[in-house]
Amino acid sequence: MSRFEYHQPESLQDAVALAARFGAEASFLAGGTDLLVQIERGRIAPRHVVGLHRVPGLTGIEVNGRITLGARVTHRSIERAPALAGALRCLVEGAEVIGGHQVRNVATVGGNLVNGSPAADLVPCLLVLDGAVALLGPAGERELPVERFLLGPNRTDRRADELLTRVSLPALPPRAATAFLKAGRRRAMEISVACVAARLTLDASLERCLEARIALGAVAPTAVRAHEAERLLEGQPVGPQAFERAAEAARAACRPIDDVRASAAFRQHLVGVLVRRALARCVERARLAA
Amino acid sequence: MAKIAITLEINGESHEALVEPDRTLLDVLRSELGLTGTKTNCLDAECGVCTVLVDGLAVNSCLYLAVVAQGRAVTTIEGLAPAGEGLAPTGTMHPLQQAFMDHGAVQCGYCIPGMILSAKAYLDEQPRPSEAQIREALAGNLCRCTGYQKIVDAVLAASGRMAAGTVAS
Repeated sequence: MSRFEYHQPESLQDAVALAARFGAEASFLAGGTDLLVQIERGRIAPRHVVGLHRVPGLTGIEVNGRITLGARVTHRSIERAPALAGALRCLVEGAEVIGGHQVRNVATVGGNLVNGSPAADLVPCLLVLDGAVALLGPAGERELPVERFLLGPNRTDRRADELLTRVSLPALPPRAATAFLKAGRRRAMEISVACVAARLTLDASLERCLEARIALGAVAPTAVRAHEAERLLEGQPVGPQAFERAAEAARAACRPIDDVRASAAFRQHLVGVLVRRALARCVERARLAA
Repeated sequence: MAKIAITLEINGESHEALVEPDRTLLDVLRSELGLTGTKTNCLDAECGVCTVLVDGLAVNSCLYLAVVAQGRAVTTIEGLAPAGEGLAPTGTMHPLQQAFMDHGAVQCGYCIPGMILSAKAYLDEQPRPSEAQIREALAGNLCRCTGYQKIVDAVLAASGRMAAGTVAS
């Protein structure tokens, strides 16, 4: 006997209507690489699974000033999107280190967000790009910043009757660059021990930081922005001293745990190293592109 | 919670099945259709023995619902050799299968269908990969016999032969 009933809506309206009807008893299925594992392990037991494969309009990557990623955009599509290969490169770097090809071929950006893992690699990238998610429910659509969407381990602000339809990112200013770095216990197929995304915008001289964003993954109950580290960089000349101050502030911003993958102290140490390296990489990239 | 009638296109042939919607493509391939070349192990997307191609892309069939595979072209290891079914005579294997034999790239053999399908998906996209690219492409396939070197050698050799057009892919 099947553990759930399967629904295959063919429009956003029908998908949302099913969620409204079944509420907490329903789960949306996108790539399934998190959902099916959770069902298999008995962590969740939805009575209704609403497959999104036939719902049109969820797989596009649009870049025209703003950047819009549909909820069902796969990690694979992000890796291979020419539009993301330049200043938005942190997205590519975050997507290409998740699982193996088999997972990246189906796992989606919407699923990565909704799953709410503190170690989700794409999420810090979306944070430094000032991403906002769109949630469609019975009462209509609301948008909120990714930072406010994330509430805790496997907890988000999405209500049971809401479908995350896309994530939007504002256009980057000139002389901006991004980078993502991840530390695991091995180089492939690894959940992050710690990861860092960064974005720097340089001034016309390419010597001073105009705007900074730093986000940390796997070192707090959710992926988090390191606001104080960002503040210490803005308006300052870029270089090792500024990066060290930012790294120190980022170490202070994280609240890691000890677990099977690493100790809290090692995670905190990694955050400092990765922040310094990610910032240096942003400067290199911004100068190269200018 | 009723069963659903589904039609799957597997290795170019149409198969009908009446399945519970929570059943995975892996389960339906093995239990309903008798296609046991696709292996079952971790059921967690860690090991890659269940790898099949869906519309040409490698996926873990253990985390892919059979109902979702409807209307898509599924390729399993049974569909790779031109001869199609049974044990094809030597010489009619897919170049990847032939290269795995030539290089002794098989120890216990359990991971090999998945290895070959991951390699095929990657070579279709990148016909002339470097050794490092092959290793990255196979990162989602574990060989517990640790026979990686010969596996990588075999994929490299097959890519050379396939790209040179000396054999059909």
